[in-house]
Amino acid sequence: MSIQDKLKILADAAKYDVACTSSGVDRKGKEGFLGNAESCGICHSFASDGRCVSLLKILMTNHCIYDCKYCCNRVSKDTPRATFTPEEICELVVSFYKRNYIEGLFLSSGVVKNPAYTMEKMCETLALLRYKYRFNGYIHVKSIPGAPEELLATAGYLADRISINMELCQKESLEKLAPNKSVKTIMEPMKMVSDTIAVHRLAIGKDARMERSQGNQYLPQSIFFQSEKDKIASVDKKLLINMLPQEKKRNALNSSVVDKFLPLGGTYPAKNRAFAPAGQSTQMIVGATPETDYHLLQTTQELYRRFDLKRVFYSAYIPINEDKDLPDIGTAPPLLREHRLYQADWLLRFYGFHAQELLSEERPNFNEKLDPKCDWAVRHLEEFPVEVQTASYDKILRIPGVGPKSARRIMQARRYGKLDFSALKKMGVVLKRAHYFITCNGKMMYHTPIEETYITHQLEDTGRKENWQIQHENTVRQMSLFTDFHLQQS
Amino acid sequence: MTVFTCDSNIESIFTCIYDAWVWALQYGHENLRLEREPILQNSLFDTYVHVEPDREKAEKVARSIRNKISFQAYIHIFYGCLYAEDVLDSMYQYLRIGFRVGKNIEHMLTEPAVMRMMEVRRKVGNEIHYFREFVRFQCIDEKVLVSHIEPKNNVLYEVARHFSDRMPSEYWILVDDRRKIAVVHEPKEEMYIQQLEEEQYKKLRQTEKVQDEFTELWKIFFDTIGIKERENRTCQRNLFPIWMRKHVTEFMEGKIDE
Repeated sequence: MSIQDKLKILADAAKYDVACTSSGVDRKGKEGFLGNAESCGICHSFASDGRCVSLLKILMTNHCIYDCKYCCNRVSKDTPRATFTPEEICELVVSFYKRNYIEGLFLSSGVVKNPAYTMEKMCETLALLRYKYRFNGYIHVKSIPGAPEELLATAGYLADRISINMELCQKESLEKLAPNKSVKTIMEPMKMVSDTIAVHRLAIGKDARMERSQGNQYLPQSIFFQSEKDKIASVDKKLLINMLPQEKKRNALNSSVVDKFLPLGGTYPAKNRAFAPAGQSTQMIVGATPETDYHLLQTTQELYRRFDLKRVFYSAYIPINEDKDLPDIGTAPPLLREHRLYQADWLLRFYGFHAQELLSEERPNFNEKLDPKCDWAVRHLEEFPVEVQTASYDKILRIPGVGPKSARRIMQARRYGKLDFSALKKMGVVLKRAHYFITCNGKMMYHTPIEETYITHQLEDTGRKENWQIQHENTVRQMSLFTDFHLQQS
Repeated sequence: MTVFTCDSNIESIFTCIYDAWVWALQYGHENLRLEREPILQNSLFDTYVHVEPDREKAEKVARSIRNKISFQAYIHIFYGCLYAEDVLDSMYQYLRIGFRVGKNIEHMLTEPAVMRMMEVRRKVGNEIHYFREFVRFQCIDEKVLVSHIEPKNNVLYEVARHFSDRMPSEYWILVDDRRKIAVVHEPKEEMYIQQLEEEQYKKLRQTEKVQDEFTELWKIFFDTIGIKERENRTCQRNLFPIWMRKHVTEFMEGKIDE
């Protein structure tokens, strides 16, 4: 099988994985090595679906012994199968990277023989890439549920980010749709990775918890906020003694997998490698099972708090397999719902909101017509209008149309002069949403009543086009002479 | 009013600021204006003074911005020099406030000149970032990597700095097709900027036609990775505008015109 065919099959099989970010780690380039990493992350292209292409996202193999009903690689599916050799993957990564096509590698895999064997093969690939090909760019590795701890550790030391897909947040759904996986094989490695990251961070003098958006330090109600006492309590001391990072790392990096390559690239500074410096992430499927948005968002919040995950991704379910437990083939993926969940995820991570503020048992799903922040604001009009000249940072951040950047600019600029609406606009405030909720030097922009039904209608109207586009962009389109009637452009 | 004019390179601009400042100490800041050459239409009642670059004066200006205001202010002014449009006068007004208030200037967004420079910095900074993303190299003879870009602002060198950290041990050339300049990088050598002669430029222009196994593989990957059920060309265009796709491998089809 040619490398072209393999790439086609294995990229196609990997495309449903969401995470393609390359952010969270800053690493300088080095003489004799290829690559660096930027903490902001760099997208290199945007595919036909508008999603960013940052990493070479491939599976090592799409052979799989598991039979998860939602997956395109399940064992019972009749589909072409292929396997990359470690060398082929390395060649691809290095050549693509030099041409600035990609920011690094995203490696996942189907399960061959057993989880341990698969994970070992993946570690082998990563070690080859780091030691022989001297690749210093970004690597995101997917952990295989059920792989042994040592191999997980090895992968963590070689990669920048490690992720374990949760896929379904309810036990019953998982048992029904992924009979070979269990909550235990997902949560245990997740816990192990998050503990190892914490211990490793402490050992190099950082805070045990991952860095978060800077604004969070001014938001005492944020889900990431920790008092000094919490910080100490959150570290299990027994764990610290058992998991002295140097000892641990020596074992991990002396495993047979890495040993094979050490003589080749001897100088790669294995000692300085941090354990998954860009943290850990996961993804959940939206719309395949009856979970509500409230459920998903609650789970997300717990994952951030308990396991200190860097990101949680959502994936609108696209029906590819026929099954009685799943939506029919041809059902449109719930793109707007996915969009709303991401918006809410941002509200948790940057704006100091809690899942319980946005949704509740009685209102378990997001409003289709309004984004979660506007929706919260119109239900809490007692907080508004906010006077931008004097309000505190957390109050300003809760105004629809104001983000962390513009909130920071407002805080700084108002110390030196009076703000007005045109200055706010230039600072990046979206006035078409914000003007219902603010006063500037005691005046509102227009004479608008602060009244729930009025503002709701106005805002729904503002967002109508955007919402429609997200939901229908690919189902409805304008007729074209060239594509519909096959006229040739001369 | 007296108008100080200069070339658009950084040395001339800093010298121009220096000379204007000296003049203003005697006649007042309100009575002068700065403009970047070429001046297309001279006004009737203004006196025009052309300023020649002077290394020593330029260095003095750069040093005092860094020491007396802040490094951030220096970046604002530096990006102003790279900006495609003429913002010399805003830069001058920015410095007038800056030398008065010091490092707090970057937060004083209610001042029009400060707001203007923030916008300029954001635009230039964004363009640098765009090209870090969308530069594509062609590999010539399995050794030299060549890339062509056409930035609106003069950001070639800033883009190259990113790649000198990223690929310190490779041979590569980054060409600005619009200004006909190139940055050349060799391992273990300091990279340098070079004005291209017509012959050199023509030769370099050919490199974009080069296709190898990996350009094809990349196109295969790019076409495969999009999900058909989620197709959204509007979103793709918003994030990757069509004018930026000119030199980008995955959007190039067939031949390239001379």
